[in-house]
Amino acid sequence: MGLRDTWPAGVAVQAELREVPFFPQQDYQCGPAALATTLVHTGAQVTPEELVKWVYLPARQGSLQTEMLAASRRYSRVSYQLAPRFADLLREVAAGNPVIVLQDTGVGPIANWHYAVVIGFDYPAGELYLRSGETKRLAIPFTVFEYTWKKSHYWAMVTLPPGRLPLTATEPGYLAAISAMERVGEARAAISAYSAFLERWPDNVVASVGLANRYYALGALKEAEFVLRRAAARHPDSVVVLNNLAQTLSDLGRNDEALALIERAVQPDESPFAAAARDTHALILRRMGRSK
Amino acid sequence: MKSTLTNMLCRFLAIAMVMLPFQTGQASMIGTDQVNSAAAVQLDRNVVLNYLSRSQTINQFQALGLDAQAARDRVAAMTDDEVGTLAGKIHAAPAGADGGGLALLVLVVFFIWYFAFRR
Repeated sequence: MGLRDTWPAGVAVQAELREVPFFPQQDYQCGPAALATTLVHTGAQVTPEELVKWVYLPARQGSLQTEMLAASRRYSRVSYQLAPRFADLLREVAAGNPVIVLQDTGVGPIANWHYAVVIGFDYPAGELYLRSGETKRLAIPFTVFEYTWKKSHYWAMVTLPPGRLPLTATEPGYLAAISAMERVGEARAAISAYSAFLERWPDNVVASVGLANRYYALGALKEAEFVLRRAAARHPDSVVVLNNLAQTLSDLGRNDEALALIERAVQPDESPFAAAARDTHALILRRMGRSK
Repeated sequence: MKSTLTNMLCRFLAIAMVMLPFQTGQASMIGTDQVNSAAAVQLDRNVVLNYLSRSQTINQFQALGLDAQAARDRVAAMTDDEVGTLAGKIHAAPAGADGGGLALLVLVVFFIWYFAFRR
């Protein structure tokens, strides 16, 4: 792709994240070592030994890409797979985010898969810097790196704390990454992640619903109401927003307001959420009957 | 053996789907996952497929040396898409492993050859 000829626009020509920690890998365990490198860099309390139980497959003597992404979520980090582009890799590193890459250091038919962490680059010298295996600072020419990286289809990921978006994140990609983290991460982490997401993409209705649902699950009904009202102002016809807002208000004891909202939600009958809205409608009516 | 297992699984799923309509824990809040799925019609089908992919992946993990609990925990951290992609392909998927000392040496030799003789 000729990095030597065309350097991506707007990227510094030199960067090195010297403060990124280094964990020399034990036998075959570059996966846990690479993951510990980026997780500890973001302040997570974890060791490569501990990560073995999440990402190491004994019979394969290695770690799968999916598990590298999945294990980060246990530490409430949003794992994000980068677009397969050299420019995106460089942009993340320049933005201060060490990047885990999957390389095949074998030749021809002999595959030798290996995870390493890109921590810097130097365009004039034509080199990338990696925390790799037992080498704390491996300098590798762009061409050699690309040759080894190409075979994993330029696979690269970052693990970032929930309030910090990857520089190259896309709206659908990062939303999926947060919702994946929600599976096993802490509720508070999901709240920071959705909040940061909404600062960048305030119009996203799914993220608003996600944030409000997290608040609701924690019993923070006022916060849930605030988020849903903001979403309802932007999307006045969203059945999901109206339904969840009505439910929240009803739980706060404000059934009159809730009823007015849910009556708007049950109008469009073709919505896939019409049944849920009708249930909420019935619930609110029951609660009003009880309170009279 | 496999067909007996599939039969039992299908029966279980059929009963499970009748008894447990897709719902979140809260009475009437619509869940984030549901909003993410485009159409509600697709939802039931996806629940079944996803269940199958997950059990298949858990079984394969166990065959590769994990204990049952670890296998379940590890699959639990994956999204439906990830499990769908991985199911049945664990043996073929790349597993990053080696520091690559020897292979890197081979690679260096290869590049010396490549640049010295191919150009």
